[in-house]
This record gives sequence, structure tokens and C-alpha cells, in this order.
Amino acid sequence: MADGTVDLEPGRVQEITDLDGRLERINHFELLGLQPGATHDEVRAAFRELSRKYHPDRFYGKNVGVLKPKIERIFKRIVEANTTLTDPGKREAYLAANPFVRAAVKAASGSNAALAPERDKSPEEQARDAERRSRLARHPYLARVSRVQDLITKAREAVAKGEYSQAFQSLTQATQIDDKHVEARTMLLDVRQKYESMRAETDFKRALEAIDRGDATLALQALKAAVTANPKHHEAASKVAQLLGAANAKEASLYAQKAVDAAPRNVAYRLQLGRLLLEAGAKALAKKQFEEAARLDPNHPEVKKQGKSMWPF
Amino acid sequence: MAADREPVIGIDLGTTNSVVATVHEGSPVVIKNRAGQSLTPSVVAIAKTGKQLVGAIAKRQAITNAVDTVFASKRLIGRKFSSTQVQEALGVLPYRVQVGEHDDVRIQLADKQLSLPEIAALILKELKLDAEAHFGRPVRKAVITVPAYFNDGQRQATKDAGRIAGLEVLRIINEPTAAALAYGFGKSVSGKIAVFDLGGGTFDISVLDVGGGVFDVIATGGDTYLGGEDFDNRVITWLAQDFAKEHGVDLKKDRMALQRLKDAAEKAKIELSNGRETQVNLPFISTPEGGGAALHLQKTLTREKLEELCRDLVERCIVLCDQVLEEAKVKPIDLKEMILVGGMTRMPRVQEAVKQYFRRDPCKGVHPDEVVALGAAVQAQALTTTDSDVVLLDVTPQSLGVAVAGGYVRRLIPRNTTVPMSVTEAFTTSKDNQQTVKIMVLQGENDVAHQNELLGEFILTGLREAPRGQVNVDVTFDVNAEGIVSVSAKDRETGLHQSIQVTASGGLTEDELKKILDEQADMLLEARSDEEVKGKSTELNALMRELASLIPQLEKSAKDSQFTHDAVEKAHQALLAAKRALETNTLPELTRSHDALTRTVGLFKGMLSRFGGP
Repeated sequence: MADGTVDLEPGRVQEITDLDGRLERINHFELLGLQPGATHDEVRAAFRELSRKYHPDRFYGKNVGVLKPKIERIFKRIVEANTTLTDPGKREAYLAANPFVRAAVKAASGSNAALAPERDKSPEEQARDAERRSRLARHPYLARVSRVQDLITKAREAVAKGEYSQAFQSLTQATQIDDKHVEARTMLLDVRQKYESMRAETDFKRALEAIDRGDATLALQALKAAVTANPKHHEAASKVAQLLGAANAKEASLYAQKAVDAAPRNVAYRLQLGRLLLEAGAKALAKKQFEEAARLDPNHPEVKKQGKSMWPF
Repeated sequence: MAADREPVIGIDLGTTNSVVATVHEGSPVVIKNRAGQSLTPSVVAIAKTGKQLVGAIAKRQAITNAVDTVFASKRLIGRKFSSTQVQEALGVLPYRVQVGEHDDVRIQLADKQLSLPEIAALILKELKLDAEAHFGRPVRKAVITVPAYFNDGQRQATKDAGRIAGLEVLRIINEPTAAALAYGFGKSVSGKIAVFDLGGGTFDISVLDVGGGVFDVIATGGDTYLGGEDFDNRVITWLAQDFAKEHGVDLKKDRMALQRLKDAAEKAKIELSNGRETQVNLPFISTPEGGGAALHLQKTLTREKLEELCRDLVERCIVLCDQVLEEAKVKPIDLKEMILVGGMTRMPRVQEAVKQYFRRDPCKGVHPDEVVALGAAVQAQALTTTDSDVVLLDVTPQSLGVAVAGGYVRRLIPRNTTVPMSVTEAFTTSKDNQQTVKIMVLQGENDVAHQNELLGEFILTGLREAPRGQVNVDVTFDVNAEGIVSVSAKDRETGLHQSIQVTASGGLTEDELKKILDEQADMLLEARSDEEVKGKSTELNALMRELASLIPQLEKSAKDSQFTHDAVEKAHQALLAAKRALETNTLPELTRSHDALTRTVGLFKGMLSRFGGP
């Protein structure tokens, strides 16, 4: 049998490869082919169906070649989805950790279940309800609570659409109104991180484009913004240092230091920092960086070169 | 030729009896042995003539050849010689059990010393021959069953036995799972079922969710040292003690007498499943040293007496049932069906207890002795055909984890987790400038490392020199569909990587394991449980504040009592200890201090209320 051939129909191979490729991106409900918020019994039924399809025993004795790890990955994930969604505690923890999924569950249940009772009420009753709600909403304490709730809902919707800046603004407002609101605060932490790393990424892309156009000023500006948004963005930090260059060795070395802090085991960053420190006249500090680089990767060509030139110390 | 598929078999390798089965024209059937019996006794012997005997023929000559007849060897397989179970067995077994090189168990059979897998292989070979006689052609592929609660070492040893017998072991599956498979095969069963399996040597209880050909084990539990043999031993001990009282002779010291007692006890027990009482008659059981008349043993055993002797054994089964149902989050009433497996479930007292607990009649139409082998055959068939409808989802019977600093266990895979599965958890170094970590893979439920089974170990070296807690190591456990465990460790920054596939342990004793753990304390990992630590610190801080506020109150309310003085002194010490615990910032220290402070605060509150304080 030649390499790459497997005892499966091409369609099945394609199916497995596709699903394996999507594993990282889809949530537990999507994996099981269910509506967000599907019930325990629906999850069980879907789990059985998929087990019959993807349990490694279904491929026992067959030559599945490179698909083997893929099948195992898929099935492990199916088991995980089943255990998570059939245990109320684990399901809640999963939704708490994945606000996107929770928003999707809310949206799915909102479209059918939550609205249903409203339809049963007469127009007068509905009007009375609305009046009561608006009266309650004017009460100073309740107004605050409902305002925070509104903002959180808004943020959740924004998260579901991937609009982090919107979500970030809503949550910041919510925490300003009630700085002890646990849900708002935890969401804000999560969203801020995502928002900032997203912003850093956009800035970084903008900078790369600017570099391509030869616009160094704009590139530098965008890169600095990226580093401010996400201090762990080592690529951006290192690029800033590179653009500033030996002419501004002091400032450049500060950014090079940031890159090293974010990725302490990157030899190239260490070397960059070392060179800039040398330019800035901090020989002892530079030496330390070269030594560290030599320790990390003694065979790096530049390390060897620097090692020789550093000898006079 | 191509249409004529290679035959596959399922084997129930039991403690007392073994059975072999196959799937014939779509339904599982037992293959009778060459003597025409379904059950082959799991007995191996070497006769005085030097001939090797297996099965009924070996069992029949046991009394006259007690020293060279091996039975119930399944109770010893995969165990360490120094384990309590083996040590206890030594007193009741008439054959010669010896210690091997790695604290493993060996059996002296005539002039040969055999390992347990070799003994089991003799039985498997006999069954293989029976199957070959049935098919009229060679048989190689088999599924073998083991008790659900067997650990990794016991499973590996059973697999080795299959290999020695010339079998390709397709899979090792759990006995209760196999029973459920045989029960549900070809029926459109849907719902939760429980399997109560009380065999010759082991007890298993499993809960499965069955539907659409998928057999999903939800929880399993049991005791690998609770079975018919224990019931027999109770009767043996009762007979021997009575005899000793009457004649001053210890029958247990005489290997031949012991073998006769065992035979008689088993027979009496079986008879009492139908009758109310039975006679135990053992003439010439002992001839006193230095001459004198031979002694006879004659006793009446009633069903009531037997039940009294074995009451705790039955109770233990029910306790284990309760635990497993609780873990499966199932109430007895939610069960669709309840299946009884194993010869011991014929005992009326066992049936009553089961009926009482599960509040239903057990399923009829399942043969308790044959169902496990039939299920094994179903699985063998399912694995080797492409159009099979059966999928078996089994679980890890015991938790898996690694040893961490302080001699504790950090569990990565809890028991009753569906396999295949993998888990990764981050650990960190426990000492400053620690450059190596030792990953010790443990199986068991005890929080203290050395009380668990050591499955294997390896060392990850070349870590970056850094203060403790700053180097991150990812440990990944991977269990495949067969339940075979592999473990790997990776340094997160350097990508340094080490792994092992866990195979049978070297057979270390608990003491040896404890010693290793002590010696290598500075090579162990620290659980990366920052949040737990943080939570405990916060609680501890709160407790410290509470206690500190209680001290002046107590001093005020009862100034001159010596007792108060001592209590206050103790409280100050406890506060100091707590402060130190906060500095170490490790979970065991914090927990210890937390418990101590909780007690002290409780004591203070009690004293204050008595003195009529605030």
C-alpha cells in the first residue's frame, strides 16, 4: 500500500479532515450539530450518533494512516462536549468561560421561549406591564441596576458579533455605575484583554502596511500604539526598536527590553537588545544579554560572532 | 475463501471457571469444551506423573495433589507479593506461592517456578484448543475480559497471558460491560442498566446508558478482592476453628486437609442455594502425630449460619452499589434493567439484598456464568467486522494522577472518565533552581501518593534555572480506547519533551514507593493551583482577624483563669503558625493552618458563650 492511501471512502476522509480542521473554532453545541442551549437528552442523542461515527473502534483494523490522530482528536472533543453539556455544573462553567456561547444560547432561547408568554397577554395587560416597568425603572436604585443590566446585555450582544470596542465601552460604563458588579467586572477583564490584543493586532498590521509603503513615521506611531495596547506583543516591540535604530539607542533599547520581557527565550530579541545597549553605552548590561543569548543557543551564528567581538570585556 | 472469515473468540477468564464463546450467524454462543462442558475450571496442575493438567481434570485431582494444583490464580495476577491481599492469601492457599525478583508473585509447580501470566496462559491455551476443535481450524484473535476494577498492572498481566498463549488480544474489556453487551446485543434496548457481577474472586458494579447500539459506561466500581472465594473462606475458617476447639488440631496447617476443606465448603455453599441445610462430612481429615485414632469432621451447616458468616460480605457489595449509583447520579428507580452476573448471585441472600436495594426483580434470561464470555465474543466480532452496530464506550476505573511535592497526588483524570481522552495540566518547580523533575504516574483514589499504584515514572531534565514556581511544565495524560495510558511532560518555554507509555509497573511495594518519594522530594513538581492557594490565603486571613478579635474578649471575660491563660497562649502560637503558613504560600501548609485555626476559633467561641461573654 502506498503512502497516504487509507481504507476509507474519499468522502469520509474529507469529512474527517474538515471536522478536524474546524475543531478549534466551533463550540460544543456546533460540534454536536445542535442548537445553542440544546437539552440534556438532545445532547445524549447527538453524542450517540457521533460516537457511532467517530469512535476509534469504528476504524479498528483499518488502515487510516494520517487520519488516526485526527479521528482521536475529534472523538476526544466529542466526549468532552458530552461530559460538559450533560453535567449542569460543567455546562454553567463552560458558558461562563465562553461568553460568546452564552450569548448564542441566550439568543436562541430568547427567540422562542422567552417571548412566548408575552403573546398570551392582552394588549391592556401588556401596556400595564410596560407602565409598571418604566415606573420601577425610574426608582433611583432600580434605575441603576437596570442600567447596568442593559449595558451588560448590550456588551454581550457586541461580543457575540465580535465588536469588542463596543463591548468594552458598555462594560466600562457599567463598572463606572456599579464598580462592585461582579459579572460586569469579570466580563470587562475578559473583553479588555481581547479588545486590546485585537487593537494591537490591527495597529501592527497597519504598521506593516506603512513599512511596505516606506512611511516610517506612521509605522512607528502604529507600532508604539500596538505595544501600548498589548505590552506582550513582542513582534511590535522588536520592530519599534528596529525602526528607532542605533540613532535613538536609548529609547530603542527600552522597546527591545519589552520584546525580551514578553518572549524571554527568543535569542534574536536578546541579541537586538544587546546591540542597542552597546550603542547606548551600557556595556555591562549588553554583555549580560549576549551571555544569556549564548546560553539559550550556543550555536547561533551571530552569538558566536558577538562572543568573539565581546572578548575585550 | 475470502467469504470465510477468520474466527474470533471472546474469553471470560474467571477466578473459578472460564468460558469461551464466539458469534455464530449473528448471535453469540458458548463453545463447549472437549469434555462437552460450557465451564472450564480455572485450575492448573502438574500430576505426580509429571503431566500437565488444566480444567476439570486438574480440579478432580486437587485433593490428592494439593501442593501442585493451582486455583484462583486470578486473585494474584498483577499483584505485588508484599501486598496485603497476597499476604492474606498465603494463609489459605495450599499451593506454593513464592516471591519473584521484583516483588512479583511466582508459583512453584512441581520443579518449575511460574509467573502468574504463565499460569493464566495455560488456561487460555486450553480454551484456545477447545475453540480450534470447534472451528476445525486455528484461532488467533480474542477479546479477554477482566474485572472492571482491575488496575493497569493487572490488565497488562492478563494481556501478557494472552500473548504467551499464542493469542492476539484484540482488546481487554471489563466483565460487567461485556455482560451488558451480551444482554443488549440485537435488542432495541434504550435506557440505563446496572450490572451486578459477583464472581469467584471479584465484585464489580457498573451502570451503563444504552441506546442505538451505543453502550456508554457511566460509572463503575467494585472490589478486586471480594467474591465467592471469600464466602468459601468464611466457611473454611468456621469449620477449622470448630475442629481446633474440639481436637486441638489446626487443619489449616495441613495442605491436603485444607484442600479438602475448601472443596467441602464450596460444595456446602452451593447446596445451600437450594436447600436449607447441608452436611459436611470429611472422614479421616487428620491423623494425629505420634499415632492415635484418625479424626473425622462432621458438621451441619444451615443457610442461616452461612448467611450470618457472610453478612458483612453481602453488605459490602451493597455499599459499593450505592457509591457507584451515586457517582452515576442515578437512583435505583431510574434503572431500566438490572442484570445479575457471576455464580455467587445464585445465593438467595445476595438476591434478596440486591432486590431490596434496587427495588426490582433482576433480569431473567441472562445466564450468569456465560453472559460475560458472550459479551466478549460480541465485542470481538464488532471490532473485526465493518458493518457492526455496536460501539462500546468504556471508562477509566480508577483515577490517574502524578505525585507532587509534599507526598500528595494531583489527579488529572478522575475515575469514570470516558476513554479515549487526554488532559493537560500545568505544573511548576517546587525548589529554587530545580533543573530536573520526576514525573511519577499514579493510579488510585488515595490523596497520599505512596498509597496508590505506581504505573511508571520518567525524568524531565534541562529545565531553566529559576526561582521555584517560575518554570512551567505541561503534563499530558493520554488514554486510548484500550485504556492504555501514556504520559508526556513538556517544558513550556524550551519545548523540551519527555514521554512514556505506561506498562506494567516494576512491582514496587508501598514502602519502596514511599522511600523513592522521600528521596526525590526535591525533584517533584508543585501543583499549579494558584487560585486554590489564593482562596485559602484569603480564608486564613479572615480567620486570623476573627481569632485576633476574640482574644481580648476572652481575656476580659475570664481574666484570672489558668485555662484561659493557656488558651490565649495557644491562640497566639496558632496565629504565628498561620503567619508562617502564609509566607510559605503552599497549599498543604495553608490547609493545615486553616484547619488548626478553625478549631481554635470554635473553641474560643464555645468558651465565650460559657463565660457569658458578648
